Amino acid sequence: MTQLTRGAFALPGTSLDFKTGNWRSGEVPSHIHAKAPCHNACPAGEDQQAWLAHMQQGHAEAAWRELVSANPLPAITGRVCPHPCETACNRATTDGALAIHNIERWLGDEAIKHGWKYPVATPEADAPSVAIIGAGPAGLSAAWHCLRHELRPVIFEALPQAGGLLRSAIPATRLPRDVLNAELGRLLALEGITLNLSTRLGRDVTVDELRREHAAVILSPGCQAAWEWEVGGAVPSDLHEGLQLLKEFMDHGAFPEAKQVVVHGGGNTAIDICRLLKRAGAEKVTLVTASALPGPGVDPSDLINVVPRELDEALEEGIEIIEHATINRLIMRGSKATGVEIASLKKLKGTDGRRHRVTFEGTERVINVDMVVPCIGERVDPEGLETLLHGKAYFKPDSDSGKLGKANIYALGDARGDRGTVAAAIGDGRAAVASIVANLAGKGEPPADSRPVLPAELLNTAYFDTSQRTQAPKLPVSERGFDTEIEGDIGRAAAMAEAARCMSCGDCLACDNCWTMCPDSAVLKIQELAMDGSHYVFDLDYCKGCGICAAECPSGFIQMTAEA
Amino acid sequence: MAQNQSSLRSISDLRNSQPRFCGLESGHRACQGCGEALAARLVMESAGPDVMVANATGCLEVFTTAWPQSSWQVPWIHSLFENAPAIASGMEAAMKAKGKNTKVLAFGGDGSTYDIGFQALSGMLERHHNILYICYDNEAYMNTGVQRSSSTPHAASTTTSPSGKERMGKRHLKKDMLSIIAAHHIPYAASASVAYPADLQRKVRYAMGIEGPTFLVVHSPCPLGWRHESSKTIEVGRRAVECGLFPLVELERGSVANVMPIRNRRPVTDYLEMQGRFGHLFKADDPRAVEERDHLQALADYNVATYGLDGAVADPMDTKGAAKVRRGGGEL
Repeated sequence: MTQLTRGAFALPGTSLDFKTGNWRSGEVPSHIHAKAPCHNACPAGEDQQAWLAHMQQGHAEAAWRELVSANPLPAITGRVCPHPCETACNRATTDGALAIHNIERWLGDEAIKHGWKYPVATPEADAPSVAIIGAGPAGLSAAWHCLRHELRPVIFEALPQAGGLLRSAIPATRLPRDVLNAELGRLLALEGITLNLSTRLGRDVTVDELRREHAAVILSPGCQAAWEWEVGGAVPSDLHEGLQLLKEFMDHGAFPEAKQVVVHGGGNTAIDICRLLKRAGAEKVTLVTASALPGPGVDPSDLINVVPRELDEALEEGIEIIEHATINRLIMRGSKATGVEIASLKKLKGTDGRRHRVTFEGTERVINVDMVVPCIGERVDPEGLETLLHGKAYFKPDSDSGKLGKANIYALGDARGDRGTVAAAIGDGRAAVASIVANLAGKGEPPADSRPVLPAELLNTAYFDTSQRTQAPKLPVSERGFDTEIEGDIGRAAAMAEAARCMSCGDCLACDNCWTMCPDSAVLKIQELAMDGSHYVFDLDYCKGCGICAAECPSGFIQMTAEA
Repeated sequence: MAQNQSSLRSISDLRNSQPRFCGLESGHRACQGCGEALAARLVMESAGPDVMVANATGCLEVFTTAWPQSSWQVPWIHSLFENAPAIASGMEAAMKAKGKNTKVLAFGGDGSTYDIGFQALSGMLERHHNILYICYDNEAYMNTGVQRSSSTPHAASTTTSPSGKERMGKRHLKKDMLSIIAAHHIPYAASASVAYPADLQRKVRYAMGIEGPTFLVVHSPCPLGWRHESSKTIEVGRRAVECGLFPLVELERGSVANVMPIRNRRPVTDYLEMQGRFGHLFKADDPRAVEERDHLQALADYNVATYGLDGAVADPMDTKGAAKVRRGGGEL
């Protein structure tokens, strides 16, 4: 109650009785934990902002634990992932995206070096079991997420070693075998995972058997069957399809001899083959790709789908790349190709609204070759899966979780035909297990994360010092061979410094700006965490809605929203 | 109203346990986004609690003491527009007589400091009273409806220096108050800005430790009088510093002792274009607009040259470094 005092006199602090909150007209400050763009772009579902926040507090192991809650293989993805997180990073709009993959790799290597324990308990002996076909990235991720949800994963792998495409298609110069073996070894040594090696689907086990014995069946067989390749009916007798060639090279350490090679394709396998052939002694290696090279104004959907630094390194090593082109015709001498006729091509939108490949007449030219290598992708080997594939090349699940129809069968990774990265396979494993867990609990599909993504405009970059992106050491072109890794480790100091560059998109930095800059002391600070995870509470009794806190919030965590 | 509330403590408990001294409470009647209310709160945080205040007439006086309420948590006196320094002088003498160490603060706006209370201020400095005088500079008489003061910058439009056919806003220049204060040879005089709270509070703490007269002028954007969005108070203040029109400097015994270097200087138009009071400087096809923009740029360049504000390299005390944030705190 207002106490009337004698004239020209008032008791201290009595204006608190006057609630200026009713001055607000329309907008009120709110804490909104928007998705950081890195998290939104990550096919594996990592929240990079969240684990970088642990790094910023100097807690590397906590950062790694946060990271592996989505992706159990950071030492591997830190090396092989095309890091769409960095492409999406809001810091790219100021002084360069964070070198997230270098930090991820450092964390993965630290975990191996120090033997950090995966944050998971051994499932009960009578916990429901999940059968997983294939021990590639998708299958291993699914196994890990089963453990996290107290399920027992049972893996069936046709080959005598786990790793799938990580082992068969990624050269040691990108992913050294000791790193691969160490990280897979640590994961597979976790109690509760059963791994059956040299067990082939269709020969040793069948899907029907597995369905009877397990609560759910996960199919992550990858793509093991090559497409048949021909150009206008011509097939060279010594044709080497890309992935097959790469597998043979990994096994035997040698390529068929060739001086001039044309590789046709636009993925990481194509780039890997180009670079290995060049190092193996080919004089001239040309990549013909229908996609575009990175440059200003290039439509992202038209961009060549390779790890950006791999592309830079390939150009450094003298690989010639012809963009927006295709092979029109093979010039044959007997059954051997001696040249290829290429022509310019673009993927253009047609009158039906869909993209078509349009070849431009009059742009034909000829390149002489000893060998032509198509890298046009692979399809699922149908053995043992005939009833589920229905004659198609890939699985087409009904939902994002990979669920096929109503049965508890899920298809993951490359076998879905539209994936193409290790990170996407890892993300599939996570989503499928989340769906299995929800289904076992009698619930529907788990809800998607509908939070908005934080745009760069909502950051206040005045509060961040400019800094240069960390450059990782690289092996000089002359020293690049077949075993030594090309990109080096950045080390602890650089990893910590790089993590400090994260602008914490959408997440509270606890910087005190809102608390310091509110003219009405309507922001209160609390030691314990508020319900929204910040250390601040708005006292709307006094907030006049000026919007300073939102404008001066460095990370966009405070936004002005319509009053309820 | 339950949004974001901690389940552990009530909001009034929280308010009573803030880890800072709250000398100026909520519930005051300042406009949305008031730079002066923010500046006064920041000053009280660093100066209090053992202080008393003499306040000149002006916005701060009016919006904090709507009878029968007061936002102040310390002894506070208002008498007239022109005599806050004189009142403060008497308060200080009384404390001295009673053998108390309570520091006396005197607060005034630019109207009372640059114009109406100027001779009282000069006397207070000359008599060497142990008082920290703080001028909240919002560059016009905002309380009475935006009349120009001698602190209003050149070319700003106010109700008594309107832009139009005859003139492009205020014809005269902003008074160089700090040089006049410096001529009194006092121990410490400085300029600060609400856009740099850590720097402002450091200067208040420094002045509080000095026995004798000290003076601080705090640039305090006024959304109503400068005609910018209420959310842009800090941004406007930051740009004033970054363009060189409001240099942040410290003078000891009349000599420049310290300046805040500007690492990436902005053109003055970045600052001017945010404010309605300079809107006439962006009218197309008016050659006078170009001339006045160039004039203000020349004034900023003059400040930069006079105080040596160009900071070529990264410096923790420069315009960027002083307001940098990191996870878990604002200060370096």
